[in-house]
Amino acid sequence: MQIHADPAADPAAEWRHPQPVAPDRDAAYLSLRHARKVYQTRTGDVEAVGLANLDIAAGEFVSILGPSGCGKSTLLSMVGGLESVTEGEIWLEGARVTGPRRDFGYIFQDPTLLPWKSVLDNVLFPIRTQKRPVADYEAEAHRLLEMVGLGEFKAKRPRELSGGMRQRVALCRGLINDPRLMLMDEPFSALDAISRDDMNLALVRLWDSYHKTALFVTHSIREAVFLADRVLVMTARPSRIVADLRLPFARPRDVTVQDTPEFNRICAWLRDQIQAGYGRPEQTRGG
Amino acid sequence: MQTASTVDASAQAAAAQAAAASAGMAAAQAASAAAGRRRARLLALRRILLPVVAAALFLLVWEAGTRWAQVPEVLLPPPSAVLDRLVSAFPLLMKHAWPTIWQSLAGFAIATVLGITLATLLSASTIIRETLYPNVVFFQLIPKIALAPLFVVWFGLGPEARLSFSVFVSFFPVVIATLAGLDNVERDLLRLCRALTASSWQTFVSVRLPHAVPYIFSGMKIASTFAIIGVIVGEFITSKMGLGYLILFASAQAETALILAAISVLCVFGLAFYGVVALCERWTIERFGDRPR
Repeated sequence: MQIHADPAADPAAEWRHPQPVAPDRDAAYLSLRHARKVYQTRTGDVEAVGLANLDIAAGEFVSILGPSGCGKSTLLSMVGGLESVTEGEIWLEGARVTGPRRDFGYIFQDPTLLPWKSVLDNVLFPIRTQKRPVADYEAEAHRLLEMVGLGEFKAKRPRELSGGMRQRVALCRGLINDPRLMLMDEPFSALDAISRDDMNLALVRLWDSYHKTALFVTHSIREAVFLADRVLVMTARPSRIVADLRLPFARPRDVTVQDTPEFNRICAWLRDQIQAGYGRPEQTRGG
Repeated sequence: MQTASTVDASAQAAAAQAAAASAGMAAAQAASAAAGRRRARLLALRRILLPVVAAALFLLVWEAGTRWAQVPEVLLPPPSAVLDRLVSAFPLLMKHAWPTIWQSLAGFAIATVLGITLATLLSASTIIRETLYPNVVFFQLIPKIALAPLFVVWFGLGPEARLSFSVFVSFFPVVIATLAGLDNVERDLLRLCRALTASSWQTFVSVRLPHAVPYIFSGMKIASTFAIIGVIVGEFITSKMGLGYLILFASAQAETALILAAISVLCVFGLAFYGVVALCERWTIERFGDRPR
């Protein structure tokens, strides 16, 4: 982790990374090169993501933080190969991303479980779909479910579970095929505040031991900072990445991190960044 | 000593009182639980009893009314006369019920298979859908009974005409319901399938089809009644067998009691048919989770 000891006027300067791209871009794990997404609508082109240019190292947990409509979900979909890139390129481990890959793990805003399958079968759904040998992954499915506290609910149907529990099942499903890259699209934003804290903690616990590369889209500042090694701030209209922070919190990470002055200072600074994005004079709302 | 014993006694009395009170409370709770159960049972019983009583009352009024007003039997026989006829003509009724029953069941089965197949094709290919779906809707709109004579022209006087017409009539509800089920899958679930690199066949088998099962059953419930209608209409037009034929024959003979007896048999069959489909539906919804909204 790089920390720039330059506490000048910008209080976040010591965490702020001036250059979101790696020195050797071809060696970067995940590389977005001037990726742009433009939707064509009847009233003209709408830029959903404008010129995302950044590199992500292997094992980094990156939060993409921004207001709704800033294109952060689209950015995630492009990395996951679910959306095409209008301009630019996305590279993963030296290969261009042109479509979904078997070794991605996805978690969406809704748990999107199959209501007719048991919790265990839902977790094993990617394995069956990808025609992997189910027997090899059953033990892992049990282990993941135990880890998120759903050991006694394996045979239950999703409708018998609370919203938070369902999202835990989705988390296990996202992890079951041991993905190289986890893509999480506001996975906890539909949960109540208590379940959400709970899930954040579960995820942090998981990353104590997992060390996977992850992209985590959220509009909650505290969530972004608590979970990630690195926070990218996006603004809407124009959709741009305006800040890149490397967080100074070590892993294994504890809830108490949230009570440190450093944590709160970073959150305050991020809030200012987001509000500055909103407050631009040329900004026209609802257009 | 005395005072001590009084205190003791009063304490004992108090304890006994408390015990009695708690026992009373437990008993009251048990009683209220039992009362709750009784009430639930009563409510369940009421749901069955009320319509049965209403139907019995209706039959009673019918019986009494026709007797009191001396309505001629040709016009409206009392239920008792219908029952008499049902018993006396039972072998005849059964003989005619058989072709109606098998043709309805076969028509329903073929319509279900064809309907699900067509819906699958429509949902799988945009081109097929754009070509066929408007036409399916158009066909759904025309009064299909008007086409019945055409089936006689095409398939002759045998059971093929009735069977094919029954398929034709009961096929559309299955198509429309199945298609709705295949299409109404949550978009995120489809996104998940895409993210997991599932083929469209896999997506169909593991997500779309199971999701459509409850919808398919609601289409099949409609189809089960439509299939009978199709066969009966076919029998009205041209047949020497079947309950539809018998009804027509009896009306020519002014045998109103026989008409009503044949209709009763038809009702029992239709009810049983629908009931079996509904039972299958209940079982599958148990199996496949959510009920269609």
